[in-house]
Amino acid sequence: MIAQTTVSLAPHKDPFVIDLATVALHDLTDVAHTVRYATVLTEDGFEVDGVPAYEEDRLSSMASSIQALSEAVARELVIGRAHYVIIAADDAHVIQLRVPGQQLVLAAVFEVEETLGNALAACKYAAERFATALNAR
Amino acid sequence: MEHIILFAGPMGAGKTTAIQSLSDIPVISTEAANTDRATADKATTTVALDYGEIHVSDEERIRMYGIPGQRRFDFMWRILRDRAEGMVLLIHNDGPDPVDAMREFMIEFADLCERGGVAVGITRMDVAPGPILTHYTDVLERDRPDLMVPVMPVDPRDRGNMEMLMMCLIANIEMRAAYSAVPA
Repeated sequence: MIAQTTVSLAPHKDPFVIDLATVALHDLTDVAHTVRYATVLTEDGFEVDGVPAYEEDRLSSMASSIQALSEAVARELVIGRAHYVIIAADDAHVIQLRVPGQQLVLAAVFEVEETLGNALAACKYAAERFATALNAR
Repeated sequence: MEHIILFAGPMGAGKTTAIQSLSDIPVISTEAANTDRATADKATTTVALDYGEIHVSDEERIRMYGIPGQRRFDFMWRILRDRAEGMVLLIHNDGPDPVDAMREFMIEFADLCERGGVAVGITRMDVAPGPILTHYTDVLERDRPDLMVPVMPVDPRDRGNMEMLMMCLIANIEMRAAYSAVPA
């Protein structure tokens, strides 16, 4: 008798997830034209996809650490779930949030003229549509 | 008085477990689901840091920071390295080319080893054939004849083991400080 095992692909190697990540990033850039760079990453820092194509996944690694740190802070302070992270810098904004219910994170760098509210709304919209599409699998 | 000690080493070496064994407070960890099972077959991996404390006395505590083992998180290495006074380097003996892994970390953290101190703990020596201890010490003596680096087998789950390694590290740091204080 041969035992059957199911081997699930890592999200960053799964064509289905990669395709949907590409759609999610286009959803984001369609509603926010001020996106300088955006990426979908696994929570351990591997880039699933990014726009525009980027030579290295440095942002993915850093976003992974920041996501984990923000969630650790929320956990330690017992203040509930960390919903998103905003880094408002001189020349750009970084917004990142977990794709609801998934081991994936959406991170985006916006031009500084974008309002934080619009940037956050665009990221939430893209992440929620992405989650819905993944759950429909 | 506070001391900052870094726990470094490749993914799967036992850094998080070692800090959990030693810490007098609940460890703050930043674990994420591990999608890189080819490198280390474990469910989670550290992506930012682990943090624990040893309370030596009312006035003295050791802050322990564990760094992510994977090089793509090396920006965290730099952030944490600059504040540290010493390093516990853990190497799992059943990993891919563990002696070379030790060399890579010794090179990466050379400045910390020189200004502070380092102690090397070899983990998982009992689970699979691998290099013997003298393979590590021979390489260290050849690469860094200027440094005295204690090397010992440890089980990161064993607090006594890890305390012994920490004592070796502290002795290493104090010895280096004493030598550097002597006028040439």
